[in-house]
Amino acid sequence: MAEFTLPANSVVKTGKTWAAPAGATRVKNFRIYRYDPDSGENPRWDTYQIDLDQCGPMVLDALLKIKNEIDPSLTFRRSCREGICGSCSMNIGGTNTLACIKAIDAFDGDVQISPLPHMEVVKDLVPDLTHFYAQYASIKPWMQTQTPAPPDREHLQSPEDRKKLDGLYECILCASCSTSCPSYWWNSDRYLGPAVLLQAYRWVVDSRDEATGDRLDNLEDPFRLYRCHTIMNCTNTCPKGLNPAKAIAELKKKMIERR
Amino acid sequence: MSMLTPFKRASGLGTTNDGVHHWWMQRLTAVALTPLTLWMVFAVAAHAGDDYASVAAWFAQPMTTTLLTLFVFTTFLHAAQGLTVIIEDYLHHEGAKFAALIGMKLVLVLLGVSSTLSILRVAFAG
Amino acid sequence: MSEYKIEHHTYDVVVVGAGGAGLRATFGMAVKGLSTACITKVFPTRSHTVAAQGGMSAALGNMGPDKWQWHMYDTVKGSDWLGDQDAIEYMCREAGPAVIELEHQGVPFSRTEEGRIYQRPFGGMTTEFGKGIAHRTCAAADRTGHAILHTLYQQSLRHNAVFFIEHFATDLIMDENGICRGVMAWDLANGILRLFRAQKVVLATGGYGRAYFSATSAHTCTGDGNGMVARAGLPLQDMEFTQFHPTGIYGSGCLITEGVRGEGGYLTNAQGERFMERYAPNAKDLASRDVVSRAMTIEINEGRGVGKDKDHIHLHLEHLGSDVIHERLPGIAESARIFAGVDVTKEPIPVLPTVHYNMGGIPTNYHGEVVTLKNGEPDTVVPGLMAIGECACVSVHGANRLGSNSLLDIVVFGRAAANRCAETLTPGAVQQDLPEAGVQKAMDRFKRIHHADGKLTTAQVRDNMQRTMQKHAAVFRTGESMKEGVAKMNEIYASFNDVSVKDRSLVWNSDLMETFELANLLDCAQTSINCALNREESRGAHAREDFPDRNDETWMKHSIAWLDEAGKVAIDYRPVHTYTLTDEIEYIAPKKRVY
Repeated sequence: MAEFTLPANSVVKTGKTWAAPAGATRVKNFRIYRYDPDSGENPRWDTYQIDLDQCGPMVLDALLKIKNEIDPSLTFRRSCREGICGSCSMNIGGTNTLACIKAIDAFDGDVQISPLPHMEVVKDLVPDLTHFYAQYASIKPWMQTQTPAPPDREHLQSPEDRKKLDGLYECILCASCSTSCPSYWWNSDRYLGPAVLLQAYRWVVDSRDEATGDRLDNLEDPFRLYRCHTIMNCTNTCPKGLNPAKAIAELKKKMIERR
Repeated sequence: MSMLTPFKRASGLGTTNDGVHHWWMQRLTAVALTPLTLWMVFAVAAHAGDDYASVAAWFAQPMTTTLLTLFVFTTFLHAAQGLTVIIEDYLHHEGAKFAALIGMKLVLVLLGVSSTLSILRVAFAG
Repeated sequence: MSEYKIEHHTYDVVVVGAGGAGLRATFGMAVKGLSTACITKVFPTRSHTVAAQGGMSAALGNMGPDKWQWHMYDTVKGSDWLGDQDAIEYMCREAGPAVIELEHQGVPFSRTEEGRIYQRPFGGMTTEFGKGIAHRTCAAADRTGHAILHTLYQQSLRHNAVFFIEHFATDLIMDENGICRGVMAWDLANGILRLFRAQKVVLATGGYGRAYFSATSAHTCTGDGNGMVARAGLPLQDMEFTQFHPTGIYGSGCLITEGVRGEGGYLTNAQGERFMERYAPNAKDLASRDVVSRAMTIEINEGRGVGKDKDHIHLHLEHLGSDVIHERLPGIAESARIFAGVDVTKEPIPVLPTVHYNMGGIPTNYHGEVVTLKNGEPDTVVPGLMAIGECACVSVHGANRLGSNSLLDIVVFGRAAANRCAETLTPGAVQQDLPEAGVQKAMDRFKRIHHADGKLTTAQVRDNMQRTMQKHAAVFRTGESMKEGVAKMNEIYASFNDVSVKDRSLVWNSDLMETFELANLLDCAQTSINCALNREESRGAHAREDFPDRNDETWMKHSIAWLDEAGKVAIDYRPVHTYTLTDEIEYIAPKKRVY
């Protein structure tokens, strides 16, 4: 059966509370999932009290402040801090998003932060994304053509055809959508998930690509594509405002179209 | 620890090259069931409280027989497709999954055939 | 050594870094049949190339007449004549084929009505040697870096390139003859130390913007390759030249592309005046970045800044209309909304010059081979070592890089490095064992930092460095302030000996990783501010108030700086290449640089 409860060694215990410095005026509690693979202990919730007057506006600013000033062992991925690299995707206040572009004041009470759901946790807020990346590779996400490219100029593409790629090529592979999808939770071994399907569609609709049929063949499977049950969590959660659910629906339409 | 490469795990056994038929039939049966179910509800309501003879006479009308048979057939077909997806979603033990899929199909065939035969029996034998 | 698990690997080539340059080199080598591994501390599509917005320059002439010679002239002038003209010729000549190749690989460039690649004007890009405005910057809306980086990663997947993802390279392994023989990297996922043996190590580790407090750079831009090279006893070149991008968002420092001004945006001061008309009568808001950044700084210093504290400038694009904004600048509309709370269709964006790019780095020739000054010969190749991308100083950008020349740089020189390796290496050639002394040195250093147990945290030392650099090596510099800065940096550099690592684990120990990064940043910052104090002239991005003019007689040369273990900087010079590669263009002689 699909597992609906956590195994004993994954049950999250209550951890330490790090109090705000004396004189802090605008204190916010950050409840953060901690897991240290070396300790052999269960994961825990640590609480950090942060003075918002001494902190930047984004959740990532708070994480950096904790790491820099309170607890250097706190571990998370981060890089561009402007929402384009996709490193700091995590579950914040129950929603998968990017810590760098999620404002702290979007949350009324405490802010609870955990790794992307239903992924193996390497440490603290760092999930193992190996399988996600391998699934991305499995759809052959590169341009495939039979016709030799023009030797000294670009392929021609009309602005209308180029427009079809908008809302698709912008994906940053942060995995927020895929890891918000219950169907991906249950069947990620075979279901490709919204992010990868969005990428698959990006190549299916690229007017320059000539492997459309092969790409659709590769998706024609009860699991790879059809595990999407239009739950729509993907679209709700996408921090870049993309619509993977629509891309999947378009793929399904294409499947019917070619029957 | 698995010694398989991530790509090997991601590609698995490859595609089955079907899925679109199942998905499409599930949509078609859903669409067909909308008017059939509405008709069924209204028709049954209209015959509420009737005695056996008049209901049997209604069953015997060719239109009723056809629509009832269609309703039963479509319902069980749709149910089989829906339950297949649910079992595939939640049962991850290969043996249990196959047993459940086969069992579910046998039960639905049994129910479907007996329902159809009941309709035909009332319609033709009164 | 028993504390660490060690694994050995042998490849023909090891590339360190998986940004645009690293990826282009990696799959280029793979295609040529060299066994190649790419080591990267972040998953490739997280590299900072992804944040490039405006575009990639190439004289395709899709939207008006253009020639690579004009592009070369602009680049030389942009570099304030410090760029090596053989390398600049190579880059500008290869630009067209490089963009076409990227398009063939699938980059979703924006399009003209004719279906060609859309090109926008950019700062300093002109036609006919400065007369007109060129449409030269090939764009995928305002997410060109993202589009290119993802495409390059896709090509790497296509060519089955070998990646060591989330591995932090700590040190080069050099032998006693000064030949680079490999590199050591730490596998974050499991704590294994990997010793890579290679015929060639290619550094593609990017810039060191995080040496400053406020930078458009990602947190990961920590000059790791520069640090490794400095520790290997090799010099860094032109480290005094740090580009301030005119339009970083006030507060957060996030980048707003120059493409905004390319599409018709402009800057205003507190009086609502388009002040760039005074500083650059021809190019106006599309003058080169150093010019615009200085103009903005002067406006603010003279009390004409906007805002409560009169400490920033407004960037307007509301007049462009929402159609243009949504089609060509959707990303910056999003960034401005998130980080400045501004609706760009209605209000201006508050901006400030922000550290953006390092022109300096590891000196190389136009093949990507690392060079050094040895026995009086300034172009001596360091065997076994190459550098490409922002970490390298080819030097195509000289004292100031033109916008959209960096995406070009990474692709052209990534490819050049692959070609050079294919020409000079034998696939599968037998390699000697790694030199024991070199390995021991790298291991000792790893162990020392891993167990660092001083009184200062990594964050404290880093903060001291960032604030010092921000204050003393800013847009405008004076000898006095920099002397103070150098003194502070000496202290801060020494204080690294008193750093502590709180986390002793080896799996994803980001505290340790940040400490390694800090060491690299310190090497960069230290050489940067010392070279800045040393160069007594104003050239490109290096603007000295006490030496306001360019001095070609004395300073038409690259500074190269060696750093010893105590943080002492020794400076020497390499001549600027004042010749071109072919006779299709002549050497462009220095003249006054006005826009």
